[in-house]
Amino acid sequence: MTSTPRRLLLVAAAAVATGLPLRGGMAQQVDIGRATAFIQQTGEQLVGAINAAGQSVAQRRERVAEILRRAVDVEGVGRFILGRWWRQATPEQQQEYLKLFEQVLIHNLSSRFGEYQGVRFTLGRTQARTEEDALVNTVVERPGNPAFGLDWRVAEIGGQPKVVDVIAEGTSLRLTTRSEYSSVITRNGGQVAALLQAMRNQIQQMAARAGG
Amino acid sequence: MPAYRLPVALALGAALALGACATRPDPTDPEAVAEFEANNDPIEPLNRAMYIVNDGLDTLILRPAAEAYRIFLPPEVRTAIRNVLANLRSPIILVNDVLQGETQRAGTTAGRFLLNTTLGIGGIFDVAKDFGLLGHTEDFGQTLAVWGFPEGPYLFVPVLGPSNPRDLSGAAMGLASDPFSWLSGGELIETVTISRGALGAVDTREGLIEPLDALREGSLDPYAALRSAYRQRRANEISNQSLESPAARGTGFGAGTGIEGPRR
Repeated sequence: MTSTPRRLLLVAAAAVATGLPLRGGMAQQVDIGRATAFIQQTGEQLVGAINAAGQSVAQRRERVAEILRRAVDVEGVGRFILGRWWRQATPEQQQEYLKLFEQVLIHNLSSRFGEYQGVRFTLGRTQARTEEDALVNTVVERPGNPAFGLDWRVAEIGGQPKVVDVIAEGTSLRLTTRSEYSSVITRNGGQVAALLQAMRNQIQQMAARAGG
Repeated sequence: MPAYRLPVALALGAALALGACATRPDPTDPEAVAEFEANNDPIEPLNRAMYIVNDGLDTLILRPAAEAYRIFLPPEVRTAIRNVLANLRSPIILVNDVLQGETQRAGTTAGRFLLNTTLGIGGIFDVAKDFGLLGHTEDFGQTLAVWGFPEGPYLFVPVLGPSNPRDLSGAAMGLASDPFSWLSGGELIETVTISRGALGAVDTREGLIEPLDALREGSLDPYAALRSAYRQRRANEISNQSLESPAARGTGFGAGTGIEGPRR
């Protein structure tokens, strides 16, 4: 039983080691009121775009994607997710990864949110999580579905509040995707190139599905 | 219930027989070691094989059954079935509320069971919700966690889904202590028990059609994503932080996908 706390410590140490230097210098202390207002505003924009009448699915999705690109710290999230492999990637790989990651992330999120027709959301409490970020709780309701908790982790990036993680019912997008990407790289002999190839294929499939 | 036990026994037996172990990372790379320990998946090759077996079973049987269930039964009927199944789980939830010392939540569960069984006509309608008594789930896996038992290595069990020794033990304790499973003898009761198990499986899978489809399509490594999501989701359930976790079944997919809960 002594191994569990030690393991937690290791994980925490790894998280700190991989997370902090990446955002170093960019993140400042986050103001809770500002974070809440930011999520309120972004949430209203998203709900408006999702429920917009007289628009095609593709149009709605494009609008949702636009809002997300502005609200999410895509680069910070991307670096966090690549984690320990970021330093092993060449500068070219880093650049390509960030480009591919933005496409994958925005596509996945906007197609998910795009399905939430008739969605409503309510703000819950906001708490400071670390010195640098705050967690804003929202409850998402859709007709005919149970309400579920969607939490937004918000940090100040370059003087602007930005979303750095989305947590659905306790499951963090950042952590889940980090696990996934790291597994792809590890299983391919530690090659970041393998992940990039897999992401390129994924984007092609996404485009084929959208076209077909 | 044999439908549940067989895959468990098979997986455990195979694990012992094969002893398939994951390759340990280079011990001089602390980050790689930390990740390996955090994954806590020493029999990953076997788990991945079981994941593939499950994928096949799911594509051939479970998902089509869930689709048919959705197509042939109107939403009102499915909601009623889900409510009845949830109501039948109440005694187990109550026991676990008490075992965790959560007196207020225990009161809620007891109140819900009484109201829904009577006014809600055997649990068909969730009237307790209108009295402000919102449902929550608990199971023996969570109670073991609250008592300080470690989760143990990750296990993937076909049909049941993601799990670990603690949650598997919890699931077994749940089956053994379910008062509705003590009834035995008559053929009718057998039939009811089996129907309840089958309905529960189809109902759970129906609620997970979209999340699991999204996982299959959108993930570069669905196995790894599910492993991470399951852990996070269980940690969240154990902490009793969220408003309700509609999908929790103690172990497996119902507790694991994280993306959204099935319809109530």
